[in-house]
Amino acid sequence: MSIELGTPLTRYAVRSLGRNARRTALSVVGIAFGVGVALFGLAWIRGEGQMTARAAAGSGVGHMRVAPHDFLLTRDDDLRLSDAAELLARVREVPGVEVAAPYARAGVLVAIGTRSVQVELTGVDPEAEPRALRFIRELSSGHYLAPGEDGQIVLGTTLVERLGAELGDELVVMTMDRNGDMQSAILVLVGIASSGSRQIDTGIAQASLADVAALTGRDEIAEITVVASDVHAIDEVHARVARVVGGAADVLTWQEVAPALVAGVATDAAFMNVAALIVLVVVLLGVASAQLTAVLERKKELAVLAALGMRASALVRVVLMEGTALGVAAGIVAIAWAVPLIAHLASAGVDLRAFFGEEQSLALGGVLLDPVFYPEFGPWVFWMAFVMSLAATIVASLYPAVFAARTDPASALRADA
Amino acid sequence: MTDDDKPILASAKDVEKTFVTGKVEVRALRGVDIEVREGEMLALVGPSGSGKTTLLNLLGALDRPTRGEVVVLGEDLGKLGKSARARLRLGSLGFVFQAYNLVPVLTARENVEFVLELRGAPRAERRARSAEVLADLGLAGLADRRPNELSGGQQQRVAVARAVAARPKLVLADEPTANLDSENAEQLMALMRRLNVEHGVTFVFSTHDPRVVAHATRIVTLVDGRVASDQAREAA
Repeated sequence: MSIELGTPLTRYAVRSLGRNARRTALSVVGIAFGVGVALFGLAWIRGEGQMTARAAAGSGVGHMRVAPHDFLLTRDDDLRLSDAAELLARVREVPGVEVAAPYARAGVLVAIGTRSVQVELTGVDPEAEPRALRFIRELSSGHYLAPGEDGQIVLGTTLVERLGAELGDELVVMTMDRNGDMQSAILVLVGIASSGSRQIDTGIAQASLADVAALTGRDEIAEITVVASDVHAIDEVHARVARVVGGAADVLTWQEVAPALVAGVATDAAFMNVAALIVLVVVLLGVASAQLTAVLERKKELAVLAALGMRASALVRVVLMEGTALGVAAGIVAIAWAVPLIAHLASAGVDLRAFFGEEQSLALGGVLLDPVFYPEFGPWVFWMAFVMSLAATIVASLYPAVFAARTDPASALRADA
Repeated sequence: MTDDDKPILASAKDVEKTFVTGKVEVRALRGVDIEVREGEMLALVGPSGSGKTTLLNLLGALDRPTRGEVVVLGEDLGKLGKSARARLRLGSLGFVFQAYNLVPVLTARENVEFVLELRGAPRAERRARSAEVLADLGLAGLADRRPNELSGGQQQRVAVARAVAARPKLVLADEPTANLDSENAEQLMALMRRLNVEHGVTFVFSTHDPRVVAHATRIVTLVDGRVASDQAREAA
């Protein structure tokens, strides 16, 4: 059967792929496999970026943070926002802001009986906090801080174990106030939070803003954590919040607030990129080898074409056309196998708990990551499949094409002699 | 106009060609002088290794001489680069090979069109010219067949069609009947002679076959890379 496609030159290139159908099929499958793996890697990296933003938002980091000037440099808990109440009210009115949660922090010693632990006590707004910090929404036991009721504390499981405390116990909380005087308060343990990560649980110690203010002697709010309602619109919301805040404070991105998390994600992305690149390079070398073999097998034929007057550039074009046809076919096959898989995993998720061991949750830079990972799926997968497969096959065809261009036309007759 | 008055299409003056294979030097041509005039059916004969194919390569602008001067259609090959020689072949020369050397993945018509496409001929012109030349060579009914669906004789006729489709001034054929039986060889040579007489196509072909030589209007015998004899004659 003849394929009526374009010019004889195009037909020659496309039909040449059919000379050794098995080799062509294996090349297509190989490229499609490599491209599929690379696509999955990209989907993972993109998904990880969004998942990390969500995780940061749900771990108290927020999508952005309104903080006093110099906070980024000093990370000083004693810094406070000016006119914080009014600022908080303004930020909460910004379109796209899901929640704006105020915080004040203090380094304290929590003790019961002969046991004590040193923790960072976070003063929170009990009404806003459950919407900002996901692992205190459902406590492992007890209840969360009741709005308007002071004198209560919620601790992470690990801290409670270290203290040997139980719900209802009165814990002594001590710290130095702004004047350097020792202050203490008795707070009742009303709730125990269990995030699934012992590392995270070690850092959960929350009381009302009023209790922290009483202990530290500082009334104002230290920072406002902002969560956007749409994870895809973080940048826009950040710009709006920055406009509202003006010069009163800094509006930090979650990446600035949690650099360790960003570094972790960047490391993962780099690893995934390198892995995908290695797969593509291996595939590329395989295709280059197959293409070179195909050219070598046609050395006599190419010499005949050169003898007939086909220029080196046209010989290059023919081999590159073959590479392009391979790339298109491989792109289609890559889409056929990788797209349904990525689409499925993007909705069903990949449960990573099997890899976490006993911990059952993954914490990175103080942020609790979701154990079920969702690669990103979108229209980009389709065009990226073709971009990668075409890039791989065209690059792989370059050396065979140059080899073909060097064909000596005189060998067309010499071989016959 | 006598034969000597006809324009010279290709000439070789004191041409030498040496091939180096490893440390071995092979002198394929040792001072060849020859002129090919328009309208000739020139047969290059001689034993194997006498330099027939090497001389065809030079006259066909496929190669350059080690020494001496080869001028093809007014172009001194010594001054032409690879690309310019390709342009010269494409524009003015045709080739017929011993083993047909058709492109196996293209049909007879596409094989003929291929050369026309390389010359930049538009689709309609390619179609018309390939149909015309295939019909002229008795291949109209075989135009959509691929080479493996044609006999040896038919394939070589397609090869001739491909060689003459672009109306070259000079067609070079390297032992064109070597793979054909007597009947097909005779038919092919009759066809080439007809193209020579009716269309004025100039042929230079190498051969061992005395029956093929009978169709030549001039016979140049090469021995050990030299012209041993050069005789004009009446073609059969």
